Amino acid sequence: MQQKTINLKDEQKAAARKMQNAVSNAVYEVNTESSDKEITIPIGGMTCAACVQRIERAVRKLDGVTSASVNLATETATIKYIPSAVRISQIKAAITKLGYTPLERHSAAFIDEDKLRKQKAIRTLWVKFLVSAAFGIPLLYLAMGSMIWQLRFPIPSFLNPMQFPITYALTQIALVIPVIIAGYRFYVVGFKAIWQRSPNMDSLIAMGTSAAIIYSLYSTYLITTGDFGAVNHLYFETAGVIITLILLGKSLEAVSKGKTSEAIKKLMGLAPKTALIIQDGKEIVIPVDEVEVGDVIIVKPGEKIPADGKVVAGHTSIDESMLTGESIPVEKDMGAQVYAASINGNGSIQFRAAKVGADTALAQIIKLVEDAQGSKAPIAQLADIVSGYFVPIVFGIALLAAAAWLISGQSVVFSLSIFIAVLVIACPCALGLATPTAIMVGTGKGAEYGVLIKGGEALETAHKINTIVFDKTGTITEGKPEVTDIITAPGINRQTLLQIAASAEKGSEHPLGEAIVKGAAKEKLDLVAVDVFHAIPGYGIEVQIKGSGILLGNRKLMIDRNISMTAYESDSDRLAEEGKTPMYIARDGNLAGIIAVADVVKESSARAIKKLHEMGIEVAMITGDNRKTADAIAGQVGIDRILAEVLPQDKAAEVKKLQEQGRKVAMVGDGINDAPALAQADIGIAIGSGTDVAMESADIVLMRSDLMEVATAIQLSKRTIRNIKQNLFWAFGYNVLGIPIAAGILYIFGGPVLNPIFAAAAMSLSSVSVLTNALRLKAFKPYR
Amino acid sequence: MNKFLKKALILGTLSAIALLTFTACTQTDIIAKVSVTSFEKILKVSDVSTDEMYGGWSLHAPDKTTRFIFSSDFKTSAPHDIMMETDAKPFIDAGLDTSKLPAGMFVDGKIMVGQDLGDASFPDVARATASASYRELIKLDRSVLGYHEKLDHYGIDLGNGNKFEWAKDMSTNDKDIVFVLDPQVFIDAGVDPAKVTGWAFAKVESKDAAGKPVSADKFLKPFNLQ
Repeated sequence: MQQKTINLKDEQKAAARKMQNAVSNAVYEVNTESSDKEITIPIGGMTCAACVQRIERAVRKLDGVTSASVNLATETATIKYIPSAVRISQIKAAITKLGYTPLERHSAAFIDEDKLRKQKAIRTLWVKFLVSAAFGIPLLYLAMGSMIWQLRFPIPSFLNPMQFPITYALTQIALVIPVIIAGYRFYVVGFKAIWQRSPNMDSLIAMGTSAAIIYSLYSTYLITTGDFGAVNHLYFETAGVIITLILLGKSLEAVSKGKTSEAIKKLMGLAPKTALIIQDGKEIVIPVDEVEVGDVIIVKPGEKIPADGKVVAGHTSIDESMLTGESIPVEKDMGAQVYAASINGNGSIQFRAAKVGADTALAQIIKLVEDAQGSKAPIAQLADIVSGYFVPIVFGIALLAAAAWLISGQSVVFSLSIFIAVLVIACPCALGLATPTAIMVGTGKGAEYGVLIKGGEALETAHKINTIVFDKTGTITEGKPEVTDIITAPGINRQTLLQIAASAEKGSEHPLGEAIVKGAAKEKLDLVAVDVFHAIPGYGIEVQIKGSGILLGNRKLMIDRNISMTAYESDSDRLAEEGKTPMYIARDGNLAGIIAVADVVKESSARAIKKLHEMGIEVAMITGDNRKTADAIAGQVGIDRILAEVLPQDKAAEVKKLQEQGRKVAMVGDGINDAPALAQADIGIAIGSGTDVAMESADIVLMRSDLMEVATAIQLSKRTIRNIKQNLFWAFGYNVLGIPIAAGILYIFGGPVLNPIFAAAAMSLSSVSVLTNALRLKAFKPYR
Repeated sequence: MNKFLKKALILGTLSAIALLTFTACTQTDIIAKVSVTSFEKILKVSDVSTDEMYGGWSLHAPDKTTRFIFSSDFKTSAPHDIMMETDAKPFIDAGLDTSKLPAGMFVDGKIMVGQDLGDASFPDVARATASASYRELIKLDRSVLGYHEKLDHYGIDLGNGNKFEWAKDMSTNDKDIVFVLDPQVFIDAGVDPAKVTGWAFAKVESKDAAGKPVSADKFLKPFNLQ
């Protein structure tokens, strides 16, 4: 039976419920897509923050759209919508209606298509600029040469404005027409935006240059009627130079934007394009897009791995540095995990693909970085809001200033010049670029260092962090504890104790349990079957083995079950003081012994904590381990605030307590039980070697297990926020200073008036300086 | 070739062609065109007669001391095709040593300044009206016609800093015609410029070929005809 998607308007939804019941009663299934879906649509034609506002407003108005976030730097819109209420085509139509171009996004092929599209866009912009300059420069020469005698520009006699003013004017018209054509987009988009009552930067340029051109045409007409003095009131060169300079700024912007997104391109470039698979007994080369889950893939020495999977034959060592940062190749045998884009060493292997295309670890990382670059930091949202009101306000200021000068007795020409200058210099395009460009470069830079920041908001919050809470096991320590001591009660030997404990912990995912099982395996002990198994989170486990009730866990479990440990207190204390974790085993209500497990502290932990202290950040450690063990570990790495014996469900509460003290708290963890705390913290940081759940809950993922990357993430965040503030300063500064000067404030005190041409130059300079400043982030190196 | 570049090149070429057409077309010479109209108005209210002696037209100043003479055929007008003739007495009274003037400048008690535009190869066709002769004049050498924006005056360049000027629009100008003489040659010949009666000695602002504003001393004799 065919499936059909039906989109319903609000008034039909009640009827839909009736229909649904009726269809269900007919034993068919009705799929209701009521949950949000998210789509990212690339958009062409955006020029400034006002464009961002327009698109967001228009898309949000659609029924069924729950959120819309547009990023100027990445030229994408991320939209959450309810499929049953609105179609993607409707969303795209709303965008097209505004004068922008929603683009198609295919999966693997998109990257190349997008690259080509962007390169073509850059080329077109440069051609437009060159054409504009080719005609604009002679136009400027002609105008300046006749106006500014000091330049002593030789001008042909037939173009002398005092001898042949009509020829002079017509020549300027002929030169300005190609320039206008080169900048036609400003007029198309700008006037459309005005018509739709959402003026943007293009509107300012269109209005300003149109005013100059129309007045100049009028002056040309006056010349034909005999008013030869009107030849001094031609402003074709003003319009021409403004358009040329704006095109120059746009061209440089496009090139810089390409550079800011290099991080993504680098990541994307890691993936190979083809794969050698075994199909029907034959080896065939296929595009990597066509690899399917279950395919057996051959990888020869030196080749890149095309998908994630498990080795089924062969032996090799693989360079996984681009994913894990580990420079030493990792040995891979049968059953070993391999990852897409890692590089095969000297051996040949065959592996079965388990994750392909968008599901591979590499694709997940790329998506993460892309999403981060497309996301909005709160500071960016503020800039967008300001931009939305900015343009209409500027129009008002321009009109007011011009009117005021006219009323004060200045000429029409003077007032017009003021009007044009205010419009041109007030362009908010730099404002729209200030934040997203810095976030783009910052998150890209982070990816280079293995710090995956999931969004602009995470980046912005991270710089305010003053407290970091580290989980102990697997974060501060390697997470690979080993059995170090076995203390037995009378009547039981160490092998038996270890055998019982290992049998109870068999299948355990807890690192301490795994250590005990490994310890038993080392001593080649056979494990016995467990009859009943019951986990007590935060305490331990309770099992039945051959009719005996076994308890295995921490001190709290023994106290809770009234198991006497008096005889072993000193051993227990000694072990804890050595930084070991004593695991108590009781059999049938009596303590049978203690197995101590020790987890080695990571090499980088002490250094990282020292660095964080130097950065003025308080460091705490949270663990379910007993206090003494926790103290010992904390002492080794220099942590002074310890939250020990914390139950998993209480970790989040501990983070909340710190937050209630007014702190901005980051939580660093790796396990499933860290997920609530990671979500509760202002910033959750997951270690890359950790679980998927931890990585999913976190705001920042460290691909390497090196805790120094925590310091790197904070440093990068601070540097990026500083960069954003600098960019906003540049962007606002030009406007804030430029508008009053353009309005003639200096002239009131005997100073100069801002020529519209210089206004255009300043405006272009503001965009270029913001982008250049953002690119400085590329030089970021973490302080070690 | 990039589509846009192609379009721009085509348009640029068309623009260039249009420009060449415009520059070749005298219709775009609005200054010359309007000068004819305004000069005709001056002729209407002035004392204009044929000049038998020099073969041309003579526009007299109201006080008859000075006149602007321009050729009717530009073939053999002597001494010049366009010239100004003025009574030398005020200058002589102011100290002029006529022997120190360039040859041909002092003739029969008159000062003459001017220049030639045509030559003997020109057809021997006298223009029937002063207006027609004027049109021929500016056709022959457009560069002799200038426009002084500040005073809203047209001017015929008589060479060596000498000019005959008239108002573009008499209704808005209090100096309908002005005879302009460069004083230097007179000063060199002994004239005290302050003592020349009937001529104002003043600084006149204009622009040189490069557009640089210049201020030069001139002898001026303006008249309001209306």
